[in-house]
Amino acid sequence: MTDAPVSRLRNFCIIAHIDHGKSTLADRLLQDTGTVAGRDMQEQFLDNMDLERERGITIKLQAARMNYKDSSGENYVLNLIDTPGHVDFSYEVSRSLQACEGALLVVDASQGVEAQTLANVYLALENDLEIIPVLNKIDLPGSDPERIKQEIESIIGLDTSSAIACSAKTGLGIDEILQSVVDRIPPPADLVDRPTKALIFDSYYDPYRGVIVYFRVLSGRIGIKDKVLLMASQKSYELDEIGVMTPDQSEVDELHAGEVGYLAASIKAVSDARVGDTITLLNSPADEPLPGYAEAKPMVFCGLFPTDADQYPDLREALDKLQLSDAALKYEPETSSAMGFGFRCGFLGLLHMEIVQERLEREYDLDLIVTAPSVIYQVNMLDGDSLMIDNPATLPDPQKRDSIEEPYVRMEIYSPNEYNGTLMGLCQERRGDFVDMKYITTDRVTLIYEIPLAEVVTDFFDQMKSRTKGYASMEYHLIGYRKNDLVRLDILINSEKADPLTTIVHRDKAYNVGKSLVEKLKELIPRQQFKIPLQASIGSRIIASESISAMRKDVLAKCYGGDISRKKKLLKKQAKGKKRMKAMGKVDVPQEAFMAVLKLNQ
Amino acid sequence: MGVVDFGNAPRSAYLHIPFCHRRCFYCDFAVVPLGDKASGLEGPGSLSIKAYLDLLHREIALVCGAAPLSTVYLGGGTPSLLTPNQIKDLLNHLRNQVGFQDGAEITLEMDPASFNKNDLEGYVEAGVNRVSLGIQSFNDRFLEILGRRHRIEDILQACNWIDEFYKSGRLSSWNLDLIQSLPRQNLLDWETELREALSVGAPHFSIYELSIEPGTVFERRERKGEVLLPNEEIALEMMTFTSSTLSGFGFSRYEISNYAVPGHVSRHNRVYWSGSGWWGFGQGATSAPWGERFSRPRTRNGYRAWIESQEEEGLHKSLIAGCASRMPLDEKLMVGLRRREGVDLMHLFQQWGWSRDQSEEYFNSLERRWGRAMLEGWLSRRGWRFQLSDPYGMAISNQVLAEIFVWWDSLPEDAVVVSIP
Repeated sequence: MTDAPVSRLRNFCIIAHIDHGKSTLADRLLQDTGTVAGRDMQEQFLDNMDLERERGITIKLQAARMNYKDSSGENYVLNLIDTPGHVDFSYEVSRSLQACEGALLVVDASQGVEAQTLANVYLALENDLEIIPVLNKIDLPGSDPERIKQEIESIIGLDTSSAIACSAKTGLGIDEILQSVVDRIPPPADLVDRPTKALIFDSYYDPYRGVIVYFRVLSGRIGIKDKVLLMASQKSYELDEIGVMTPDQSEVDELHAGEVGYLAASIKAVSDARVGDTITLLNSPADEPLPGYAEAKPMVFCGLFPTDADQYPDLREALDKLQLSDAALKYEPETSSAMGFGFRCGFLGLLHMEIVQERLEREYDLDLIVTAPSVIYQVNMLDGDSLMIDNPATLPDPQKRDSIEEPYVRMEIYSPNEYNGTLMGLCQERRGDFVDMKYITTDRVTLIYEIPLAEVVTDFFDQMKSRTKGYASMEYHLIGYRKNDLVRLDILINSEKADPLTTIVHRDKAYNVGKSLVEKLKELIPRQQFKIPLQASIGSRIIASESISAMRKDVLAKCYGGDISRKKKLLKKQAKGKKRMKAMGKVDVPQEAFMAVLKLNQ
Repeated sequence: MGVVDFGNAPRSAYLHIPFCHRRCFYCDFAVVPLGDKASGLEGPGSLSIKAYLDLLHREIALVCGAAPLSTVYLGGGTPSLLTPNQIKDLLNHLRNQVGFQDGAEITLEMDPASFNKNDLEGYVEAGVNRVSLGIQSFNDRFLEILGRRHRIEDILQACNWIDEFYKSGRLSSWNLDLIQSLPRQNLLDWETELREALSVGAPHFSIYELSIEPGTVFERRERKGEVLLPNEEIALEMMTFTSSTLSGFGFSRYEISNYAVPGHVSRHNRVYWSGSGWWGFGQGATSAPWGERFSRPRTRNGYRAWIESQEEEGLHKSLIAGCASRMPLDEKLMVGLRRREGVDLMHLFQQWGWSRDQSEEYFNSLERRWGRAMLEGWLSRRGWRFQLSDPYGMAISNQVLAEIFVWWDSLPEDAVVVSIP
């Protein structure tokens, strides 16, 4: 299996925007090389998480090794390394690009280049990858390959004269793609005789075998009998298994430079074998690790509380388990007088947060209250200290603060030019500073803004999509912290401060946010047996108030003998609603209310 | 019939007579409208009625040998569409098959304008000793809105006849059925109606609040925005007025919707709220001989086929003692709390099979859910007895009851499994 000479290896990935057909193309490549028999083919084979399948997006990287006999009859081994297609996971993308020599740039032949694609193409270019443009969905009536080629040339500056037109759906152009992978993507450098260095580009947790590490050998070799050292974590292991992905895992004795494979070594948590770490041999280690290792840093924080206090130990256990397979997930206990015991959790972004929340509820059967996402603020104190605050409720009193700084991102939005106005409006509402506007083609534009991250992690993405009928796409990266006139906006429910609803907002927006927040809460909190005042305040000053009138009656009077069943059904439905609520003081507050700040514009 | 051991058999029976002249606009019961001219003896609908009664007789025959009954309830539908002889045959058949205790309460549901004084005489001779008169409203405008067939003068006449039988001791008690919170009804309308209803001398009232059920005329109208119900505030005032006025006249609210002067509580009604068993007979009827409910098919053909299968294969398993399971504890609490006297939790918990320690542990988690209602006095506690307050606790009873189901779902699986004691 591993007798493939380095010159016959090709390692590549696919760069594509969500929906542009990456998964379908990957499936088709596996099928046409006979790696996966047609009858075993599940649609979108490489996306193997349920959640991914449901959303039609790829979050987790997968890899597959294919054997391919090219037109001249030579045998090659092609390693496809799939990349995630979401901005939350750009660090993982950059790692997986390092494991390749080339990339297929898949662009929908009717839609054109999108922001995320572009960000990834630039990353690929930085890594000196050979890029093969592929125009997908050529069979669709709306496709316009010439226009898209022009777009690729003018935006990215890639020569598209040899771009391949294909339809992953019908199979058109697939063989041409495989042949050009062989012809155009260079083989890995033959560094078999150098000290061993392998790059971890993915890992996941298997309850029976411990962490399964996916890696690319860049130099030297790793055999089943070797003891390995992970250079960043400085941990060493004896190997239980080493092998390749076909795409099912199959064991081999040894992998050498240029090859892609997996290993299992009873590693307890993915944090011990992080993406980007370098594997070397314990007995003859490399001098230097591969460059570019970084720990993924959470950018978005929220509180997770069990609706039922009894579930706190279960939630802790579930988070412990999830962290085994998700090194980017951070959490620490949080106690709030309003919410009881829970956790403050850090995520890479909103999607990551949703994924974790959903997995906790689905896989661990927990009923959770999730508070609105927040970013990390830097608070400069009068005494010269500076604090990093990830929970608005813990922002120190104004008397003690000198200033607050908040994280900014550089945001690039790609969109048809007819939406310029509405998008610029959106960015302005979200305190964005205009940087540039560039025409990509005559009717497509890039808008560049510098904008507070806090404004992006609310509903920015949804708003952008809905205002542009889904045509716009965005990409952003952190550029640093900036001072702003920020204030803490508190919410009082029934005259008690509701910590989880506290937000940090710009002073100029505080009044409007406070007003719409209490209005929204009025809609979301069901009436109870007493009147509930709702107030928004800055310090001790009330800036907005509303109230929820008392529920006067809730009874099903008619209840004959046989009616019991129906009454029970109705009450059970009511009970289900109650389960999703958290008691704050005397008031039962439903889960949606804690996210009210995200729904202010709806 | 083979010998069936009916063991600790129910002492109550419900007989369903599904026929009506017409379907009222709020009604979603298992009824068969036969037209305004229908009657049990001859003319439109009579063949259908006869064929149905034949099936009902066959079903009653299945339970021969059970314990003698202490309450019988002929409900519907409009049982007073049946002739006195038809009622007599039914009761005789039931008496022969199952038996009646001395002083058994035998109630017949009647609608004004569906019987005359001679019919009433006949029903009483057949064994009926309690009448429940479905007047629903004391105002012609609302009777029209509800789609009722009778008017005030029919009500007054029926009430006179019944009162006469009651006063002479030939009926032991009688009830008026009323619905409140009708479309466009205001507080004054309801106060007037209730006072008039009180003037006819019935010792028992069942007073329900109108609820709009799926598939009814009201539901269709509501969707078109044509049904303007009184708002909550007014509905609560009506409920409060009802409770305080009736209590001023010596009535006790012994269940959320039922009021009686001393000695006139419906024994049959109480069976439903206490969680004891009852037989049920007839198309669409629900029975719960040992606590677990069983509903018969709602269509004539389905009901016939079911009876045929029972005759061939023997009674349905939930109708035979020993195979049947009890009413689940959560349901027992749900119905029990509707009563004035509420429930004795420790008694019910231990009856369910929990140890004292378990009962206290599980109670603690229920108490947490009930905390607010108890604090405010909507739910009161004396020892282990819990009662809803009148009127407000009863008015928001769903809020208290729903907590029971949240609590029930949170208990360990082995604590909630239905088992035979």
